[in-house]
Amino acid sequence: MWAMLQTLNDEVPKYRDQIPSPGLMVFPKPLTALEYTYSMSKPPTYEKFTEDLKRFLEPYSVEEQKNLTNCPDGTPFKQSGPVYQACQFPVSLLQNCSGVNDTDFGYSKGQPCILVKMNRIIELMPDGSPQIICDAKDADIANILTYPDHGLIDLKYFPYYGKKRHVGYRQPLVAVQVIFESSATKKEVTVECKIGGSSNLKNEDDRDKFLGRVVFKVTVST
Amino acid sequence: MEPGKEKGTATPREQNQSPRPNLKPVTMNKNLRKKKKKDLEELKKEVDMDDHKLTLDELSAKYSVDLTRGHSLKDAQEILFINGPNSLTPPPSIPNWVKFCKQMFGGFSLLLWTGAFLCFLAYSINLRYNEKADKDNLYLGIVLSAVVLITGCFSYYQESKSSKIMESFKNMVPQQALVIRDGERMQINVKDVVLGDLVEVKGGDQVPADIRVISAQGCKVDNSSLTGESEPQSRCPDCTHENPLETRNIIFFSTNCVEGTARGIVISTGDNTVMGRIASLTSGLTMGQTPIAVEIEHFIHLITAVAVFLGVTFFFLSLILGYGWLDAVIFLIGIIVANVPEGLLATVTVCLTLTAKRMARKNCLVKNLEAVETLGSTSTICSDKTGTLTQNRMTVAHLWFDKTVYEADTSEEQTTGKTFPKSSDTWFYLARIAGLCNRADFKPHQESVPVAKRATTGDASESALLKFIEQSYNSVNEMREKNPKVAEIPFNSTNKYQMSIHLLEDNPQAHMLMMKGAPEKILDFCTSFMLNGQEFPMDEEMKVDFQNAYLELGGMGERVLGFCYLNLPSNFSKGFQFNTDELNFPMESLCFVGLISMIDPPRTAVPDAVGKCRNAGIKVIMVTGDHPITAKAIAKSVGIISEANETAEEMAARLNIPVSQLNTKSIKAIVVHGSELKDMDSNQLDHILKTYKEIVFARTSPQQKLIIVEGCQRLGAIVAVTGDGVNDSPALKKADIGIAMGITGSDVSKQAADMILLDDNFASIVTGVEEGRLIFDNLKKSIAYTLTSNIPEITPFLMFIILSIPLPLGTITILCIDLGTDMVPAISLAYESPESDIMKRLPRNPKTDNLVNHRLIGMAYGQIGMIQALAGFFTYFVILAENGFKPLDLLGIRLYWDDARLNDLEDSYGQQWTYEQRKVMEFTCQTSFFISIVIVQWADLIICKTRRNSLFKQGMKNKVLLFGIFEETMLAAILSYTPGMDVALRMYPLKINWWFCAIPYSALIFIYDEGRKLIIRRRPGGWLEKETYY
Repeated sequence: MWAMLQTLNDEVPKYRDQIPSPGLMVFPKPLTALEYTYSMSKPPTYEKFTEDLKRFLEPYSVEEQKNLTNCPDGTPFKQSGPVYQACQFPVSLLQNCSGVNDTDFGYSKGQPCILVKMNRIIELMPDGSPQIICDAKDADIANILTYPDHGLIDLKYFPYYGKKRHVGYRQPLVAVQVIFESSATKKEVTVECKIGGSSNLKNEDDRDKFLGRVVFKVTVST
Repeated sequence: MEPGKEKGTATPREQNQSPRPNLKPVTMNKNLRKKKKKDLEELKKEVDMDDHKLTLDELSAKYSVDLTRGHSLKDAQEILFINGPNSLTPPPSIPNWVKFCKQMFGGFSLLLWTGAFLCFLAYSINLRYNEKADKDNLYLGIVLSAVVLITGCFSYYQESKSSKIMESFKNMVPQQALVIRDGERMQINVKDVVLGDLVEVKGGDQVPADIRVISAQGCKVDNSSLTGESEPQSRCPDCTHENPLETRNIIFFSTNCVEGTARGIVISTGDNTVMGRIASLTSGLTMGQTPIAVEIEHFIHLITAVAVFLGVTFFFLSLILGYGWLDAVIFLIGIIVANVPEGLLATVTVCLTLTAKRMARKNCLVKNLEAVETLGSTSTICSDKTGTLTQNRMTVAHLWFDKTVYEADTSEEQTTGKTFPKSSDTWFYLARIAGLCNRADFKPHQESVPVAKRATTGDASESALLKFIEQSYNSVNEMREKNPKVAEIPFNSTNKYQMSIHLLEDNPQAHMLMMKGAPEKILDFCTSFMLNGQEFPMDEEMKVDFQNAYLELGGMGERVLGFCYLNLPSNFSKGFQFNTDELNFPMESLCFVGLISMIDPPRTAVPDAVGKCRNAGIKVIMVTGDHPITAKAIAKSVGIISEANETAEEMAARLNIPVSQLNTKSIKAIVVHGSELKDMDSNQLDHILKTYKEIVFARTSPQQKLIIVEGCQRLGAIVAVTGDGVNDSPALKKADIGIAMGITGSDVSKQAADMILLDDNFASIVTGVEEGRLIFDNLKKSIAYTLTSNIPEITPFLMFIILSIPLPLGTITILCIDLGTDMVPAISLAYESPESDIMKRLPRNPKTDNLVNHRLIGMAYGQIGMIQALAGFFTYFVILAENGFKPLDLLGIRLYWDDARLNDLEDSYGQQWTYEQRKVMEFTCQTSFFISIVIVQWADLIICKTRRNSLFKQGMKNKVLLFGIFEETMLAAILSYTPGMDVALRMYPLKINWWFCAIPYSALIFIYDEGRKLIIRRRPGGWLEKETYY
């Protein structure tokens, strides 16, 4: 067993074919299922979400990222080591959901922000220009805004070189803000996000409901 | 044999007080059910009747019947109404559904049912408390139930097939009987024969009831189905013996009348007949468990103990580890169920069936699957003599002429090549007398049949002579044609000789008087004797020689006949009218030629078979209804009494001292007479069975056979009984394995037996013993093999609980092993050849030498199983590590791993996995764990081939086993690589190099076990052998 462990590469696992395509996941993670249910008038019902978001975004602050590289946009940031650099992901890209102007991430206004992130896979190189496309199941009830615009994920954050080599790697994020139509009587909407724009990233699998997509529900009461 | 012996106490069946006491049995039958136990004891007692001692008048009074006119029709009707029909109550046949249920719920099946029940319980608990219950338990429960159902149906089918063969044997009760009622002879159905009926029986008939003979003409009956005595016995109206079975004036229900006629009064009918009593005794006996059933029960106890122990331990452990009560209970059930070897029931059944088939090919038809092994455990065989040990065919064994004893060839195929001086003129005379003064004849159209096997008319001794002369001299028919018979006096029991007068071929004008008969009788007729073709006057020396020869031949249990002749003077030449009633010719001063003795000789293969039994530590006891001298002679010639040993009487005779002065300790052989046995209590019988190695019971009654069997069983022996007659059936039923004869056996005996020898040959039993022992050994191996994989199947679940790692082996994969890959290899071990000469070791001790003992479990679970588990876990950890989850990071990961909402679980390299991706990973690992078990099972199979020998000595000749290895590997590959298996069974294709992870462990298992066996062989009786040899 020990001998077997010695043969392992510390930096890259031997096989990655079990995860050829990344899953999508949302943040913050609600306690039960993927349902964000809170009341605008009762801050304790959403404070957990905002606290989590704040903590999650701390590493993304300018201060924290000052040692990281400002990589050129639009091209993969391929490196060959031995020292690997991590690209900055300015929190400002998340605009309204960055928590800079709105420390409540829109929750108190009934326009909650939810972060969508793509699972890290070592040396994964998406084709084209990957983006996260989010849609409300019922467009009459809510509009979905994504930041950065169009939910684009810049190729400079790829490839990922693994926990050991790629110290300080910032996982690219896409924020989703749910804006309910004022006409909507019931503020409840199901949102589906999918990876698009890249031919090698799958977003439809019968069995794996999280492969390249994620579905969540937002219910806001007054 | 001793007259004036005390009779047993009166039984309710005794029938001498009231005029018609026998009209009671109907009510008796009702009581029978109530006090069955007591009645059974009573049935075991000797037949007790005194009708044979009554005078005809008393008889007539007792049954209120006219001895010439019989019953009136009205009386007969009435009695029939009161007593019921004259037929045997058939044994209560077990309905098919009960048999089926027995298969379904017996022993091993019960264990699986319990397992299935626990599964359903766990599933319903889960269902109740968790919305999303894991369906695995449900599936497992269903599969377990299915396994029991299928195996149950299979064994039911197998057994019903055997019983169908049985049904083809059916035909027993005679159809018609000739009775005299109201003075008229009429044919009636046998079942309408009533008590007191006047019945006539003639040659060829089956006797319709127990009959007291009131008149007879040359009547001979064949009592062999009742007493085992092979010779037909003459019947006459006189009471000749105290014992109703031996007296000549009673003929018994369902025996055969061979020749002559007899008329008599029915003294008992139906179940009250001697035969009926035996039949009810047989059906009343309860059979014990077969040894293999006992072993399987023992095995179940062991397995259950291990399962419960593990389950309870981990129940508390999981509570300590902080799992909830509910989880702990589910774990408990899961562990217990995981210990159930699902495939073993099927394996054992198939192994037994295979052996049963193999035995059937060797002429042993097994009625009851479990009996397959019983023969192997047998430590005592109680064998009948006639037909089993002997050929059941009188054959000339010895000749005495020219003052010399010559041996004849008695083997079945005439292969011994024994011969005698056929050139002697004395032989010429002897052969001529034996051939001509002989009423037996071959039945027609048998030219192609060997002489020894041809059917003949006439009595056994004459047929023997006929065949003998045909074989060793010349065609008897030709001889008879050339020497026509002109007069004869047939044999009868008063004059004890047979005489015939012939014209001679070499001198067609002269007559020769030829005579044969009881030797002493013949000698009385003779005044001269023949030596080398010359006549000499009779002298004392010759008489002494004659006596010695007679004693010698008689002492060998042979029936001796003397032969003499007289050349009639010329005034009795051709044309003389001989009158045998007035004896108008001389019949004295004959010339003595010689003696010929006959015996029912042992079958050729029997001495060898008895020797093999002896080597195999099996005690062979002869139990026969025949006379002690004949019994002893056969016992000696087949080796049941070995040459070196002599009985007390023989030793006393040799040392010329009274029997009482002998040192009985040195005597190993004994011949026990039925009448001695009758007076013994069970302690005395035990003493005899214990002290003497070589025992012959002669003149035994059916009840005594039963007592002997019970005696042996009391001493802890596993007893096989062979027999063909109805008289044997109680003993057959009582025995651990009853072996009936397929050709000569009566239907009743076949019904009572567990096994049928299709060729009636004792030697086939030895084959049976060999097969039985082999299957016992091989079942051990099969079970060791099957149990071993239990450990790599349980440990994943245990580790899942303790270490909180993703489940390394799931229920489906476990079932794939137990019911898939493990099956054929486990069964293939049934084809394994024995390691050493299994016929040279002692029979197993049923108390200590178990099918499954703690050593076997210790080896399988504790050692090989552990290595296998290591192999599985190694593969599991390798695969997970190679895909990003290092072993240390796996510990405690279970809750996150199994959380369906957690879709970004991080591995050791920082990659994130969705739930489904993890599950695919997990099932891939389970597949690889499964494949690893298959690979280490290769080695396990190979080491299980032998228990002591090295594989290099045993070799890999078992082709089925090689096929088994190939099959399990192919099956594993198919399960892993077939597209669609991911959906159907959640098994995923593996990378080729993951197959090799377990190979070092396979090698380790092989080397480890070869080493163990080497030490066991080097240090017999050493610590390792005591602890690990199963």
